[in-house]
Amino acid sequence: MSNLDKFKEMSKGLDLAQAIAEADRCLLCHDAPCSEGCPADTKPAEFIRKLRFKNVTGAIRTIKENNILGGACGVLCPTSQLCEEKCSAMFKSQNRPEGADRPIQIGKIQRFLVEHSWERGFEVFEKPEPRSEKIAVVGSGPGGLSCAAELAKDGYQVTVFEARPEPGGVLRYGVVSYRFDLNFLEHEMADVKALGVKFQYDTPIDSKNGAEKLLKDGFDAVFLAPGLWDAATIKPEGKEIEGLFSSVDYLAALRDGRFEEIAKKIKGKTVAVIGGGSVAMDCIESAVRLDTKDVYLIYRRSYSQMPAEPDERIEAQEAGVHFLLLNQPLDYVTDKKNRLKGLKLVRTRLGEPDESGRRRPVEITGSEWIMDADVVIEAIGNKALQESCEWYPNVKVDGKKLIKVDPETGKTSVGGIFAGGDIVRGPALVVQAVQDGKVAARAIKEYLGK
Amino acid sequence: MANNVDLSVDFCGVKFKNPFLLSSSPVSNSAEMVARCFDAGWSGVVFKTLNSDRLPIVHPSPRMHCVHYGSKKEMAVQNVEMISDRPLKDNLTEFLYLKKNYPDHPIIASIMGFFTDEWAYLAKAAEDNGADILELNFSCPHMCIEGAGHKVGQAFKLLEGFTAAVKDVVSIPVMAKMTPNITDMNEPAMYAKNGGADAISAINTVRGISSVGLDDFVATPNVFGKGAISGTSGPAVRPIGLNFIASMAQNDQLNLPLSGIGGIETWIDALEYILLGASTIQVTTGIMHYGYRIVEDMIEGLSDFLAEREIKSVSDLVGKALPNLHETEAFDLERQGITQYDLDKCIGCGQCYIVCQDAAGQAIEWDAENRRPNLIEDKCLSCMLCKFVCPVPDLISYKEMPQDWKRQETAVMDKNMEKDIKLEPFTKEGPDECVI
Ligand SMILES: Cc1cc2nc3c(=O)[nH]c(=O)nc-3n(C[C@H](O)[C@H](O)[C@H](O)COP(=O)(O)OP(=O)(O)OC[C@H]3O[C@@H](n4cnc5c(N)ncnc54)[C@H](O)[C@@H]3O)c2cc1C
Ligand SMILES: Cc1cc2nc3c(=O)[nH]c(=O)nc-3n(C[C@H](O)[C@H](O)[C@H](O)COP(=O)(O)O)c2cc1C
Ligand code: SF4
Ligand code: SF4
Ligand code: SF4
Repeated sequence: MSNLDKFKEMSKGLDLAQAIAEADRCLLCHDAPCSEGCPADTKPAEFIRKLRFKNVTGAIRTIKENNILGGACGVLCPTSQLCEEKCSAMFKSQNRPEGADRPIQIGKIQRFLVEHSWERGFEVFEKPEPRSEKIAVVGSGPGGLSCAAELAKDGYQVTVFEARPEPGGVLRYGVVSYRFDLNFLEHEMADVKALGVKFQYDTPIDSKNGAEKLLKDGFDAVFLAPGLWDAATIKPEGKEIEGLFSSVDYLAALRDGRFEEIAKKIKGKTVAVIGGGSVAMDCIESAVRLDTKDVYLIYRRSYSQMPAEPDERIEAQEAGVHFLLLNQPLDYVTDKKNRLKGLKLVRTRLGEPDESGRRRPVEITGSEWIMDADVVIEAIGNKALQESCEWYPNVKVDGKKLIKVDPETGKTSVGGIFAGGDIVRGPALVVQAVQDGKVAARAIKEYLGK
Repeated sequence: MANNVDLSVDFCGVKFKNPFLLSSSPVSNSAEMVARCFDAGWSGVVFKTLNSDRLPIVHPSPRMHCVHYGSKKEMAVQNVEMISDRPLKDNLTEFLYLKKNYPDHPIIASIMGFFTDEWAYLAKAAEDNGADILELNFSCPHMCIEGAGHKVGQAFKLLEGFTAAVKDVVSIPVMAKMTPNITDMNEPAMYAKNGGADAISAINTVRGISSVGLDDFVATPNVFGKGAISGTSGPAVRPIGLNFIASMAQNDQLNLPLSGIGGIETWIDALEYILLGASTIQVTTGIMHYGYRIVEDMIEGLSDFLAEREIKSVSDLVGKALPNLHETEAFDLERQGITQYDLDKCIGCGQCYIVCQDAAGQAIEWDAENRRPNLIEDKCLSCMLCKFVCPVPDLISYKEMPQDWKRQETAVMDKNMEKDIKLEPFTKEGPDECVI
């Protein structure tokens, strides 16, 4: 397999024997803290128990009924902060039987079961009685897909409007393909399509008041899940710099037709990635895999304040990324043709904790310096598109243009319009978007019942 | 390697350098294999059961299947294998090779015939070619001809007659290998003794079925669309083997050396057989699972056990657990106890609570906030189920309670309904034993 093929395919998950061995370690806890830790109520304690008692089809059913993107979540959930965080099998004690000092690998079992359902052609859902109510879903990311599936299971007529040529949102245009590949996404999409959900691609709902108009165009309810597709930047407004990418653009390019172009652009170059979260990690790791000369991670606080998961950080360092901590980017250095040459940094030290509880970076005056770089990728946060609120002018949003909803129902300030996913929470998780979709779908059913 | 403790045993006047033997099966099928097992440390071998070449022997294919438990492999093995399919001449030539190259390792020849002359013929041939002991296979569980295999083991007169026929023609010791597919092994063992047997070995495989195919409804091993009730061996049958060895060892009238077989994998398994009366032990499935090398750990483990306790020889341990083995009526029911919990070690899984609720005395309350069990002492049945499921060793233990302590009786759901029951008190006097 060539390097590029490896880039486009994720590594194999557990096989049946490994999944059973892992399920065998589960203590089948009475109160299952793992299930409590799952934001989408995927019920890990239940599907692991079912696997343990050889009820494999039942285990698949539990996952898919509760989480239509159970496969994606099994792969992408930061499980050590969710279901696996309080797993009883992890509790350390010198009295634990050997090998039990680590949590059950719930995500891996979940992924296995979903892949197994595809392999054996097991269909979880029966064809529902069709109903007449029509629902429009804006955005085919995890939030939109979850809401659509939840409604379609009960026979509602759901149409998903997607601005881009293909469905999946961040799953297709964000996450790098060696973490989550197209083949996997297409299988999971097939589960959604089999429920009868209709998709319209290349169909942005971005005209003035376009989202609200859907209610007048024959839809009984609308679910908004357009996600966050603008990128924060330190670049002065209006200036175009060749060699500067936002993480949104860079990662999307890796997954659409521009892959070869990007790969050529950064091969053999010095690349700097700005940021300390999971998205930054995706950017640096992919850059390393594309045969760059050097990859730097530039982060304004220190190692332990980084939001990225510990194993992501360790993997990045193992892969040879240089962590340049306690440095704050100020500006870019370009040549006359606006080609990137380097970036201006200032050293920082850690001060008092800020609202996030992490110690605040304080600039050290006079410590500015210039670092040479050919390519810079900014991964300092995704945000709502500037113009997004014009699509739904009557829907209340906050200062960051995030939609305000009732968390119990996903209801916005406009009757019949619901919202969820990143556009409500800010940068969040796939599994949380799934949950928002489910919550809103339930509220929509109730709303339509009235 | 092990310390220099002498593990040697005397079995029917034959010296073995340790009590660990191969039992008759695929693991002892050829001299090439047996030579390697001797090199690994096994002291002797019961060679794969000889046949007289009168009838062709063909093994069914496939001939085994196994029982997994969760992800644990080979908890038991199921086989429909026949006795040796090699010509008698080849097997006897193998004896000569082994006697020449491994003179200190006794060979026990397992034989099986269908009628007296055949038994005698095989016995003589084995003795003439170097066998140190004979083992009469009265126990192969998938022989379907009356008068062969385990059918002999169940027809005691035949068993006695065949033993006597063999004894008539050989001077080496004769051991009878018993089938566990009966209720009491003492009876056939006494018949074997009357026929002249010098020792008893047990058990052969237990009749069983490992699994049934869900697509074709054929029991396994599936021999081209046909299944059969066949022989189960391995760890799952160990309690059955121990039962038969112990009950024969307790029988003063029998009083023969015993060779223990069934589910042995470790020195502790072997020692348990010894403590219950066996003076040698034999292994097949343990080797089919892990290979000959397991004997290294048997030797080292048993040696260290003897050394640590300053026990001089294995024979000092034979039957040592028998004086403590009683009928259940001998138990002192006045003494009662409960479980106790060292909750500092608890990880809060709640398995104890589940089993106590659903299979015991409902003696545990669940403290959901702290994720801890809370024992209501006077409801504990001391069944110890909670201890069995608890993942933390030694967290739950048994504690005897004072004589005046009383366990709560199991509550009746609705005492008010007592007035509606249809029941006369039982008043008849009866004998203390069962009569019709
Ligand atoms: C690079 C990256 C890596 C990530 N890695 C992980 C991870 O490993 N694990 C994890 O749990 N989470 C991860 N996340 C976060 C996760 O992907 C998001 O929380 C999740 O995708 C949010 O789902 P969503 O449905 O709200 O939005 P999105 O996935 O953003 O989907 C929104 C969809 O709406 C479409 N759209 C937008 N505007 C319109 C419009 N006007 N009309 C029609 N369609 C429109 C978009 O094209 C898009 O397809 C990652 C995010 C990024 C950016
Ligand atoms: C595949 C197989 C073939 C066997 N063949 C014979 C045999 O030919 N003669 C015999 O006396 N016992 C035979 N046995 C029984 C074993 O010698 C032994 O008594 C039994 O397997 C129990 O011991 P274990 O649990 O260590 O395997 C066979 C067992 C197996 C599994
Ligand atoms: S917490 Fe861990 S051990 Fe307990 S049920 Fe969940 S996965 Fe199993
Ligand atoms: S969906 Fe994610 S958080 Fe929930 S159980 Fe599965 S892997 Fe864990
Ligand atoms: S089974 Fe053991 S570890 Fe689990 S809750 Fe009970 S006492 Fe604690």
